[in-house]
Order: sequence, then structure tokens, then C-alpha cells
Amino acid sequence: MRVLVVEDDPDVGPDLLRGLEAAGFVAEWSRDGEDAWFRGDVEEFDAVVLDLGLPKMDGLTVLKRWREAERGFPVLVLSARGAWTEKVTGIEAGADDYLAKPFEMGELVTRVRALVRRAGGRTSSTIQIGKLTLDTHRMSATLEGAPVRLSPLEFRFIDFLAHQGGRAVSAGELSDHLYGSGAAAEANAIEALVLRLRRKLGQGLIETRRGFGYRLSGTGT
Amino acid sequence: MIVRSLRIRLMLGAAVAIFSALALAWLAMTLIFEHHLEQRLEAELTAQATLLLTDLSRNAQGLAIDGGPADPRYDAPASGFYWQASGGGSVLRSRSLWDQTLPAASDAQPDNWTHRSTQGPFGQRLFMLERQVRLDRAGPVVLVQLAQDVAPMSLAITEFGRELALFLLLLWAALSAAAWAQVQLGLAPIARIRRQLGLMQQRSEKRLPRGSLSEIEPLVAEINNLADAREADLNRARRRAADLAHSLKTPLAALSVQSRKARAAGAADAADGLDRAAAAIQRAVDWELARARITAVRQDGAASSAALPVVERLLGVLERTERGAELVFEVEIDKAVRVPMAADDLTELLGSLVENAVRHARRRVQAVADTTSGVALLIDDDGPPDDARAAVSAFKRRGRADEAGGGLGLSIARDLAEAAGAHFELAMSPLGGMRARIAWMREAPA
Repeated sequence: MRVLVVEDDPDVGPDLLRGLEAAGFVAEWSRDGEDAWFRGDVEEFDAVVLDLGLPKMDGLTVLKRWREAERGFPVLVLSARGAWTEKVTGIEAGADDYLAKPFEMGELVTRVRALVRRAGGRTSSTIQIGKLTLDTHRMSATLEGAPVRLSPLEFRFIDFLAHQGGRAVSAGELSDHLYGSGAAAEANAIEALVLRLRRKLGQGLIETRRGFGYRLSGTGT
Repeated sequence: MIVRSLRIRLMLGAAVAIFSALALAWLAMTLIFEHHLEQRLEAELTAQATLLLTDLSRNAQGLAIDGGPADPRYDAPASGFYWQASGGGSVLRSRSLWDQTLPAASDAQPDNWTHRSTQGPFGQRLFMLERQVRLDRAGPVVLVQLAQDVAPMSLAITEFGRELALFLLLLWAALSAAAWAQVQLGLAPIARIRRQLGLMQQRSEKRLPRGSLSEIEPLVAEINNLADAREADLNRARRRAADLAHSLKTPLAALSVQSRKARAAGAADAADGLDRAAAAIQRAVDWELARARITAVRQDGAASSAALPVVERLLGVLERTERGAELVFEVEIDKAVRVPMAADDLTELLGSLVENAVRHARRRVQAVADTTSGVALLIDDDGPPDDARAAVSAFKRRGRADEAGGGLGLSIARDLAEAAGAHFELAMSPLGGMRARIAWMREAPA
């Protein structure tokens, strides 16, 4: 597992490398934005840890250029300011997770592992449900060609229903699938989830079959 | 005793000055009145004396009078109206003198009537007119005297003086009241400036309104200049503090590197010490940054932003966190809802509230806008009721929730909300967990 660490601080950078290598990653260090952008553009990494305050080219610009070039590796942003505005900007620029400085090394390793696992587990395929297209690799959705932002939970919900071949699934079964079978049935949470998805994707996509549960329209009878 | 009140000083000064002026006026008017009465009396007596002279003659027995003054008061004894002619060994008197005589002349002139004040008979004080005349060329010098009791005149003067004094006292009271009103009016701008200075202290971006009285205007301008300078200093200091706080973040990360190195080398005590110090610096840095933001919010009175995009962008971030990925986010905010805050500041405010809700929620987090009166944003979670109750009561009691569970975040959120003119409160949520409510009473500007 190759991880690119982009950090200009001479203490924090090597420490990140040590921490990631101790956790079994092959970590490489880039000290400025231009170098990072170039390496990310031409080499393959399983994950990138990206500091935002970088010399030569700032982290957000590097990230945007990677995403414009369709470099899809997961990126964990290190934010020195810890401000929400910056987190939001980072995520919208294409980051997959953020971590505010100063951070615990253990926390950082856990996050990087989770990012790699999420990216590695995806098989690149798309599912078409009416006007909705799901990209199971990127866990993203487009509605009539326009991107729709879905939370992981929402994506799993739609993805699960899409694989039921038109069968109506009860709230209890959905709850088991989303939260694990040990958890108590959460009918309220499922209802709220459906409500929010209908807002995002339109009223017609998710049908309620009284007495049976939920199904996606346009996926069989 | 030094009087510390400008108002009392001005009032005392005015009262004393008015009183002195009126007392002088009283004195002068009384004297003029007295002089006037004396002149009238002299003129009257002179007219009567001339008539008396024409009635006087001399025969072999001595002085004789033919008729005499017609006024009956010259016939009533001790009436206060007297005449007397004396010379050549004989004396003629008015009947009113009875058995008394008028005092002899001291320096009566032959060519002119002179008057003097003298003690007369019957214990009366007299105003006396006298002249030496010769009734014929060969005859002796005759002293003609006419006198009148001054008691009625003195009484008139006394009464005049008393009534005048009463009137002037009333005038003094009226003028003092006018002076008081003038002092009040004159000092009113000072009281107004004091009130406005109080407001300035509360909200540092406030300034004294211009365009007041021309005497006050320079003072207002100077105070405003001073406030501008002071605010600029403060802003500079805050910016420096915020810059300093930012610049400490990376060294803090480096410090934790050193701490890990120390721990790896077996110096656990040193590592603990470093960690504690780093945590303390971190808290100070967070507070400083929050305060800089709160100040900026307070100064940005005209800001306004739509609530829904801010909430959606925040949820976009939180949905990616480990906790957030398991939660359902319900958003009941109309596109048209705007709040009087810049989008960045609203992001920080709602960010800490939604993050706190995500931390405690089991399944659901709600963000609702209530526009029934003004605008209120509600952030609800369905976390454990006991925890929420404890956090709410701790927040109400100490003004902050427990430090470990995002208490700093909630305190900062409250300060941010209040800086933006909102009311901030924590309560129990109908979902079971905690509800944070940020309410602007009036309709937010569009």
C-alpha cells in the first residue's frame, strides 16, 4: 500500500512517514505543492495525506488539479485551521476525509486505513435505475446527468434496494442491513432516510408498498 | 465645600446672581420712590406757602393773616399739617399746632424756599419748608414755615417696599426656574452623549451620531476619532493574536511528534508533560481563534446568508465522518430562509452544533428552520436523554457544557450566535436527545 504524504513541516513530515510505515504502509514524502501535484499525477498511490498549507502550490489547488485529471485515489486532508469553512471547501474540492492539526497518529492511521479499505472494496460498475445512475466505485450518483451528493448511508440504502430486483423490502430488514442485525429496528430513522432521499432524488423513485416496505420504481414489477 | 455637580454649580450661580440683581433693583426702586414722594410733597407745600404769603400782612399789633390756607387739616389739632409765621416779636400759627411751636429756623434763606427734616411737636417727624421774607421794606424779617408729618409718606414707602419685595421674590423664583430649565437644556447633550458612550461600550462598532449642536460637534468628532483609533488598535491586536494562534498549530503538531519520540525512547513522564502542555496551548489557540471570529461577527452587522446551502454543505462533510456515515440527516429548511450572518460564520456556528449532535446521536440528526416569529434554527439529535439532560443543565448552570464533550464548541457557538444578535439555548429535543436553538427575534434581512 503506497501512501503519499504531502507535508512541508520538517518534524511532522518524517513523523507521519514513521507512523504510517509502522502501520504497514509504504509512505513517500513530498514537501511542496508542485512536487506533490506532479507525483500524484504520474504515479499510482493507494491514498494521499495532504496538508493544505504548502509552499509553491497550496493543497486545495493540488487536490482540485488531481480531481480534474480524474486522479481518483482517496485523499485525507490535514487542516491546520480546523475551521468548518475550510473542511467544507476541502471536501468539496474532492477530499475524502479531513483531520484537524494537531492530530493523534493513531487516529490518522485509522482514517487512512478506512479510506484505503473503502476505495479497495469498490468494483467499478454503474447501475441505472430510471434517471438515476449509481457509480459503485466512487459511491456517487447522478440524476439525469447531474451529480447528486449522497451520504454513505443513503448510498447503501439505494444500492441495497437496487439489488433486490424490484422486491419490496421492509423497514426492519433495511434497518438490519444498514445498522447490523444486532441493532433495534429503527422505523423512524428509515422513514427519515426515505424522506431525505425523496427530496434529493425526486418523489417517484422510492415507492412505499403498504404492508410490504420500500422498493425502487423501474426495477421490475 | 466644593460642589461636584456642574448642574448645582450653574443653578447656585444663577440663583445668587439673580437674587443680587433683584435686591439691588429693590433698593434703587425704593429710593427713587421715596425721592419722588418728597418732590411731590415739596411742590405741594411750596404752592400752599405761596398762598400763605399772600394772605400775610403786618399791622400795628404785629403780624396778621387774612384767611389763611383753606385746607381744614390746618385747623385740626396735631393733624400733621402745620404752618407758622414769626418775626418782629409776634408769632402766627395754624390751629393745628395748638399750644406748640415749630422749631426755629436753622439756615432758612431769604430768597428761596428750603426744606429739611426735623423733629416736630406731638412726637412727629416733620418735612418742613421755610423761608425768610420781609412783608414790607421797613419791616422786620418774618420766618414763614410750613410742615407736614412724614409718617403717612413713610408708611407708603414701607408698604411699597414690602409689596415690591414680594413681587421681586416671585420674579426671582420664576427667573430661577427659567435658569434651571436652561441648565437642563444645556446639559441634555452631555447626558445624551453619556448614554451613547454606554452603547459604544457595548458594541464597539457604534459611533456617536454626527450633526448635533455646533458646540458639541467637535467633542463628538474627537470621541469618534478616539474610538476609531482604539478599535483599529484592537483589531490589529486581534489579528496578531489570530495569526499567532494559527502559527502555533504546526509547531503544536511538531511538539506531539517530539512527545511520541520521547515516549518511544522510554521517557513516558516527559511525553506526558509535553502532551499536557500541548493540550493547554491547543485550548488557548482554539479560544483565541474563536474570539477573533466572534469579534468579526459582531462587526459585520449587514451580513446575511441563506441557511439551507450552509447546512447542506456541512452535512456533506459530516456524512463522510465515521459517525456521520451511520446517521440519517433530516433537513427541514426552506430555500428562502436567510439569517443575518455571513455564510462563513454561520458555517462555523452550525458546524460545531451539528458536529456535537452527530457525536451524540444514535440514528438521526435534524436541522429545522422555524419561521413562525423571526427566524430560528433548531439542531436536534436522538442521543441518550440522560446525557442530553446532564449537558443541558450543566450548560444552563455554568453557561457551558462539560469541557470533554465538546463544551468548548458549544460555548463558542453560543458566543458566536449572541455576537450575531441571536438568542442561543439548549433544551431537550422531541427526538430524545439535545436541541440547540438559535433564534433571531425579528425577521432577518433578505
